[in-house]
Parts: sequence; C-alpha cells; structure tokens
Amino acid sequence: MTSLPFWNPVICIIAFVILIAIACLFISRGQKKYKKGTAQTEIFLSGEEPPAVEQRHIKSHNIYWGFFQTLKEYYDPTVRAHTGIINDFIIWLIAIAALTAVILLIASLT
Amino acid sequence: MVVTSGTALGAVIGTIGFAAFGILCGLLYKGFDRKISAHMQSRIGPPIIQPFLDVSKFMIKDSVQPERALAWLYNAAPIVSLASVITVLLYLPFGGLTFTPILSGHGDLILVVYLLILPALAMVAGGFASSSPFATIGAQRKMVTMMSYEFPLAVVAIAIAWKLNQLYPGESVFGLAFIYSHPLWGHVGPAGIIGMLLLLFSIVVVTPGQLATVPFDIDEASPEIAEGLTAEYSGRNFALFYLADAAKMVAVGTLTVALFFPYDLSPLIGISGPVGSFIDFVFFLLKLFLVTTLTVTLTRVAVARLKVSQVPTSYWGATTAIALVGLILLVVPN
Repeated sequence: MTSLPFWNPVICIIAFVILIAIACLFISRGQKKYKKGTAQTEIFLSGEEPPAVEQRHIKSHNIYWGFFQTLKEYYDPTVRAHTGIINDFIIWLIAIAALTAVILLIASLT
Repeated sequence: MVVTSGTALGAVIGTIGFAAFGILCGLLYKGFDRKISAHMQSRIGPPIIQPFLDVSKFMIKDSVQPERALAWLYNAAPIVSLASVITVLLYLPFGGLTFTPILSGHGDLILVVYLLILPALAMVAGGFASSSPFATIGAQRKMVTMMSYEFPLAVVAIAIAWKLNQLYPGESVFGLAFIYSHPLWGHVGPAGIIGMLLLLFSIVVVTPGQLATVPFDIDEASPEIAEGLTAEYSGRNFALFYLADAAKMVAVGTLTVALFFPYDLSPLIGISGPVGSFIDFVFFLLKLFLVTTLTVTLTRVAVARLKVSQVPTSYWGATTAIALVGLILLVVPN
C-alpha cells in the first residue's frame, strides 16, 4: 500500500475500449440516413452566407484568445521578453544562474 | 493479479451495468433540473421524463454531417465523449460504499481529475471537425474554460489527499474508495472546517464549468453562437453528446459527494445487511440530487452568463485563491 497516486493504464484502456464498443452499438441503433448534397448539409450561420472553408477556422494563434486577453498583464511583458535575440537569452540565463547561486548560498548558510 | 474468465465476465457485465445506470440516473437528474428550474421561473416546465423522450427523438432524426466536415473525427467525437465519461464512473464510488467501484484499486483521484478532461476534449475535436464558425468559436471557448477550471479543481483534490495523508500516513490516500470511507469533517479543527467549506465552495464553482452550465456555458451560449460546439450535430451523434452530458453530471456530482459528503446512513440508524445497503444507496442518490441541484440548477437560474475573458479571471483569480486558502487552513495543524 502506498500513499502515492496510482493507476493501471492497461485496465483503463480495456474498460475504455469496451465502452467505445457499447457506444458504437448504441449509435448503430439510430437513424443513419440524411439528405446528402442538399441544403441540409450546409452549415448553419444564422442565415448569413457561409465563408469559404479555409476562412471558417480560428487561426491557431487566436485559439486561446480569451485566456490571453484575461491574463494580458502577465503575457504582454512575457512576450516582450522573448525578443529572439541570443544576447538577451544569455543575459536571462546568467541572471537566473546568479539568482539560483545566491539562493543556494543562503540555504547552505542557514 | 490473476484475471479469470469469471472475473473478466463480471467486469464486463459490471461495466455495462454501470454505464446503463449512470446514464439513466443522469437523464433523470436532467429531468429534475429542468423541472425545478422551470418552477423557479414560474413556469410549469417539461415532464421529468423529457430527457428520455428527447434522446429517443434524437435517435430517429436525421444524423446530418456537414459537407466540409472532417467525417471520421466529427463522427468519432460523440462516441469518445460518452465512453470517456462512463470510464470515469467506473472509478468513482457511485452508490456510496454499497457498490465497490469496478476499477477500484486501478486508478485514483488524480486519474479521475484528468479523465474528466477527455469528454470535453472530444467535444472540442468534434467542434473543430464540423467546419462551422459557430462550433469553432465554441471549441475555442471550451478550451479556455478547461484551462481555467483545472487549477482550482487540482487544488481541491490535493488538499483532501494531503490532509488524509497527515491523518493516515502510508495509506492509499488518493484512492476514491479510501477517501469515501474516511470523512474529514470530524478530524479537523475549526480552521480546518472553514478550510473544508472554502474547498467545497471552490468545487461548487468548478462544477458549472465542468458541465458547461450557466454562468460558465460560454462554449454553448445559445443566443450568441447557437449552441457553439454542437451547432452542427444532430440525430444520433447529438444523442450521444446529450447522454455524455447527463452521465458527466452524475460523475462530477459523485466526485463532490465522495470528497465532501462521504457518509452512509445505515451505521447511524443501526441497520446492516442488504436493507442497510439499500438505504445507503438511496441516501447516496439523495445526496447526489442535492449536490446537482445546488451546483447546477440553483446556480444557472440565479446568475447570468459570464463573458469569455471573465471565466479565466473567475477561476484563476478568486476561485483558486479561495481554494488555496482552504488548503492552507486544512493542512496547517490546528
């Protein structure tokens, strides 16, 4: 017996596969047909003309818009810090290493 | 572990039984939810069995697939969503300690917290695959919600396990059967009680996010994006999402009951045996009903929908802060 988290992935996958089979069995009982090639298969956009397929999706950099918008006070300076200039990254590395060394020094003295 | 054909068959039958009962129970609670919320708004509302009628209707309606949809992913998403929710139920002490979870001993609280992400991820995949702008916006919003509520939920889970580890070192403190059989309320001081109440409040706030109900239903938001994720789903595919939603209500409610109300009635009234087990089972269903009514029905009637950008603030700000204070009050000796 251990107080650490535990799980058995094999059992989990077996149960999941059984349940997939049950779900497939259930869905096979439903109506399979629909009217292909009619207005029924057009996407619903509140009566507006649907845009071209390639313009329907949100671009990947906008997927987390709500999250970035809410946490912009955190993300804006973080993004600014990522300049892509190697000299800046080296400065960050040296600064973090120095800070770590100071913390370890204080910890060893106490 | 030796797996005989008898135990394997028992596990399969048990899995089917849990799946059926979890879904039936979820649909029934959905019926109560609609009826109670209608009465709270001075409406008569649909009959309690309306969700059952809805599912039977969905099954006979055309299951339309949009022309430009990614067919295999669009059709697989509802199946994965339902299967993953029922998988979660197999780890939970559904029905109290009357029925040992089928997968008890093979997974724990942390696994359940992560497995609860799967149905939402399946819905996101289905939304993106349907090639609808409404569904795509819904999928984006769903991901934002998921990233937001996971943090406070993880804090609640860790807090309970941490306290149990203090009380019962070396025991299987992450196991849900262990958590259910070791209530914390009687083992903590006044500060611990306040901590537990704060953690309970946090999970009450997390639940509408998990179930995409008001005020955190930004991914569906009918007046704005016409049900969002499921805008293009119909017929049998939509029926599966509907069943997954019902079962998820049971799963999330059971998790709350297991963490915060793990009490049985039979020891108090001194009845044991099959009658005692039956009483405990009915008592569990009653607790589940009260939890779902509080976290889903009352909440969605009482408040309005939040904006997209307010959801992360609510979860990562206030809810997480409350959960962390609850954690500190619970684990600091008092």
